[in-house]
Amino acid sequence: MPVRHQYSQGITMQDQLGRQEQRFEFTGSGWEYFKIWIVNVMLSIVTLGIYSAWAKVRRLQYFYRNTRLADASFDYHGQPKAILKGRIIAIVLLVAYNASFKINPILGMVVALVLGLAMPWLLMRSLRFKLYNSSYRGLRFGFSGERRDAYNAFLGYPALAGFTAYLAAPLAHQRIKQYQFDNSRFGNTAFKLNATVKGFYLLYLSALAVILGTLLLLPVLAMLSGTGAGLQSLITGLKSAGPFIVLIMVASFLIVGSLFSAYMQNLVWGNTELGAHRFFSRVSARRLLWIRITNFLGVALTLGLYMPFAAIRMLRFKLESMGVAASGDLSEFVSGQQQQASATGEETAEMFDVDISF
Amino acid sequence: MSISPSDSFPQVSAAYFDGQTAASKAVRLSIDGSDLLLRTDSAEWRWPLGEVHISERLGSTPRLLTFAGGGHCEVNDHAGLDEMLAQTGVRRGWLDRMQHSLPWALAALVLLVVTLAAAYRYLLPWGAEALAMRMPDAVMQKMGSSTLEAMDRFALKPSKLDTARQQELTDEFAHLQPLPGAKFNYHIVFRSSPRMGPNAFALPDGSIVLLDELVDLTKDDNEIIAVLEHERGHVERRHAMRMVLQSSAVGLVMAWYLGDVSSLLATAPAVIMQAKYSRDMEREADEYAEKTLQLNELSPCLLAGILDKLEAAHLATLKKKEQQPEAEEKNSHAVMDYLSSHPATQERIGLLCPAK
Repeated sequence: MPVRHQYSQGITMQDQLGRQEQRFEFTGSGWEYFKIWIVNVMLSIVTLGIYSAWAKVRRLQYFYRNTRLADASFDYHGQPKAILKGRIIAIVLLVAYNASFKINPILGMVVALVLGLAMPWLLMRSLRFKLYNSSYRGLRFGFSGERRDAYNAFLGYPALAGFTAYLAAPLAHQRIKQYQFDNSRFGNTAFKLNATVKGFYLLYLSALAVILGTLLLLPVLAMLSGTGAGLQSLITGLKSAGPFIVLIMVASFLIVGSLFSAYMQNLVWGNTELGAHRFFSRVSARRLLWIRITNFLGVALTLGLYMPFAAIRMLRFKLESMGVAASGDLSEFVSGQQQQASATGEETAEMFDVDISF
Repeated sequence: MSISPSDSFPQVSAAYFDGQTAASKAVRLSIDGSDLLLRTDSAEWRWPLGEVHISERLGSTPRLLTFAGGGHCEVNDHAGLDEMLAQTGVRRGWLDRMQHSLPWALAALVLLVVTLAAAYRYLLPWGAEALAMRMPDAVMQKMGSSTLEAMDRFALKPSKLDTARQQELTDEFAHLQPLPGAKFNYHIVFRSSPRMGPNAFALPDGSIVLLDELVDLTKDDNEIIAVLEHERGHVERRHAMRMVLQSSAVGLVMAWYLGDVSSLLATAPAVIMQAKYSRDMEREADEYAEKTLQLNELSPCLLAGILDKLEAAHLATLKKKEQQPEAEEKNSHAVMDYLSSHPATQERIGLLCPAK
């Protein structure tokens, strides 16, 4: 894959500059998290969902505090009440959205339009909330993205992608990531995303090529397994191999999905800088696929009880594939300005399933 | 690593961060009266315990002691910190205990399963019914007309019954005395559908779609009336709206819960669970029809009779399909087979007409 090439260039550069690699370390355990999770899920249900805001803070604190880099852990500071407020607003918006469509399609369109226009602002607020409430070594992260840029990244470029039959989708994706990263900071040191539009296009095109290849291969396979000649063999083959073909399709989408997300994380984090420090990311697509399949089976076979174990496994894998190539001492950062942010944006974004987290 | 043997007071080693820079400083913590003492080799700070926020335990994650001014200490020695805090009378909270105990985890699991089962069995139908009963008429009208539109487009054909016969059935149905409290204006919509076979269904707005195939199934018009009354029961009890509400609630919860795992997993249970709902609702509609028939001095056995015929017709179609599996592949997945959503037909017949 072309992305790997870009990524390995990064390594050599790091070596030449004599940077020291520090991997992220994740110390969470499935059983430990299971106990915390089940108690919190139970309390959330018994309190009709009100407690879920507190549960979310505990979950994130468990994840953050188990994430270590250079012998210090991260922490999450979100206030449950702010999250609860955000959730209530999100539910109201969700109900308004669904109900308006049921009552009158035109009213539904109007509500959808208003929500669509508000979404970039909400996403911006959610990024601000999330970063402001994250800390490492006692220093807060921060997000200083402007509203106008948020509208460009979350509405303008995606709209462009829509109008160009998704030809501009990789460009839009790169702009969204750029907006997220280039406006983020740790203390008062800014993040910088160096992943190019070209890199995104190469990744998208590779994925597309694999999908098209599979789609072209299928009729050939069907013809080979069918009887008769020409079109006849295709039809009988498709009929007899029907379930088998579906299986191949599902498998190939799983494989492409894992390749895509692995290389996407590598592309984005492998090309991110924080001051003089660089990040690296070496997610193996094969491992990712294996974890996804086994997690899926585990969750399905245990009726969801495996969920906390699955979450820990996935997080450990993703985090421990990453690290910082530190130039000098990580302790040299000094604290930057802090800002207040409300939780509404984050919760709304989560409810509407627009997950743009890192 | 925590308690130095030379000192009689428990000491805990920690990493101190000042909140201004990312540099960490190794410190030793101890308690002195009502103060927390921070010591390095060369210096000493003192904080009133009331101004220190001590984070709760969360698995084996480091605990944080945050100071009013902004700095904090990261402690990894859990036993040492607990021992030190025990002197000050700080106790572990109930939530802390629950989150770290296996018996509580199991108890939570049991409680969770019981709560979910109870919510699904009682709360969901109750909530859906309450909501459906309050649904404005405009919504019911809209849902009825859009459902009929969709069915006309995909599954239904015009009826072949002549207008005189249609009028006759309409009159017979209108002639019937409804149960007190009936709300909707009913009218029969005549259609046919060879694909669906003998069938009738109630739309939320009070329209009852009656298929020619069902009319052809019996010579006794009162049996048709019995089916129409059964459908009226569905309408009056707002079953369609309740089904929609219930399945979307289940779907929403599943999607939220399984969100990142698979949307496939999320939709399957909602579909599977619907069968159970229908059975309860069928019984309710049967009872409604039974009461209306009795009110009009007709026998509930009429409904039992037509149910019997429907099942026979259904079995016959199944058999035919088994004999020719290749043909009409698509049609075997008929949109809404009258009997597949009407399980335990014999049981229902027994309830309606014990003599039979």
